[in-house]
Amino acid sequence: MRRVIANPDFRAGFVDMLPAALALMPFGLVCGVGAAAAGASLAGAIGLSAIVFSGAAQILSAQLLAAGAPVAVIVLTCFVAGLRFLIYSAAIAPYLRPLPPRWQKTLAFLLTDQVFAAGVRRFDAGGDARAAGAHFLGSGFALWLFWQFTNVAGYFAGNLIPPAWSLDFAVPLCFIALVAPHFRSSPTIIAALVAGVGVLALAALPMKLNLIVAGVAGILAGTLADFAKERWTPH
Amino acid sequence: MDAALKLWTVVAIVGVLNYLSRLSFIAIFARRHVPALLGRAFRYVPAAMLTALVLPMVVAASPGDPALVSLPKIIAAIVAGVVGFFTHSTLKTLAAGMLMLWALQLASRAMG
Repeated sequence: MRRVIANPDFRAGFVDMLPAALALMPFGLVCGVGAAAAGASLAGAIGLSAIVFSGAAQILSAQLLAAGAPVAVIVLTCFVAGLRFLIYSAAIAPYLRPLPPRWQKTLAFLLTDQVFAAGVRRFDAGGDARAAGAHFLGSGFALWLFWQFTNVAGYFAGNLIPPAWSLDFAVPLCFIALVAPHFRSSPTIIAALVAGVGVLALAALPMKLNLIVAGVAGILAGTLADFAKERWTPH
Repeated sequence: MDAALKLWTVVAIVGVLNYLSRLSFIAIFARRHVPALLGRAFRYVPAAMLTALVLPMVVAASPGDPALVSLPKIIAAIVAGVVGFFTHSTLKTLAAGMLMLWALQLASRAMG
């Protein structure tokens, strides 16, 4: 453990993640507030932030628990919202292949939106895979640690934040920061349009089922548009 | 079901599923080829899922009343999207969106 902390790449990864960890602070606070509002104990709130470790899944769980949704619906919704982890996993897998299985299993736990983006950048910068792995571990650990602090702070003190600050709005902004750079091809824009129109049009569906239906419809629309684009693009 | 038990059931199942999703291609399917169709569908998961997550939070002014639309939030979200598109920075996107929202809220309060 001490050897890991003394590792310069681990430290560099930790420091590199600080701006993103700072940006996610309001999101963590909102997650803590959500857990408290859902009636979770402190241990339950920490269980959500430390084990689930995914803002989207934590917010959805808290809201659906508060709404009295059955466990099966909560699990399915969180799984669909977490489908992007499959992609991150597939995209980062080739970089992690040279690392020992123990490292792979640890780094996989820390694979979140921000850590994925930073990790790919570091691996692409080249050098020894172990050094990049240590950097990944440092950035993942930084984010995990800050996430626990902000969630607990939100759990206890979230209600002290004036509603006029609209802190809740930080949550969609964090996702906008992730999704905006994707809008560079027409199939991607079609996927987003179908998902966006769908989720609003189906807002009357109970238990946030509109999220699953619209998300899957958007993925299908994007895939079809991709095939169509390929079919009609002159070679 | 007891509320605490239900919460821990959700933590356990969602936690395991999340971890398995993150581990999937790193360890479980590491030696298998991703089918072409799946690989293509994968490209559109972030755009579709994140948009579906975001829009209700932006368009609904209050979580309790989805019919209430907040124009300042929509404008601030568009500004944040433009900043995010060009900067790829979470911190800058967040700052742009929050500052825009606060400015619009102040302006609408000043105009009564």
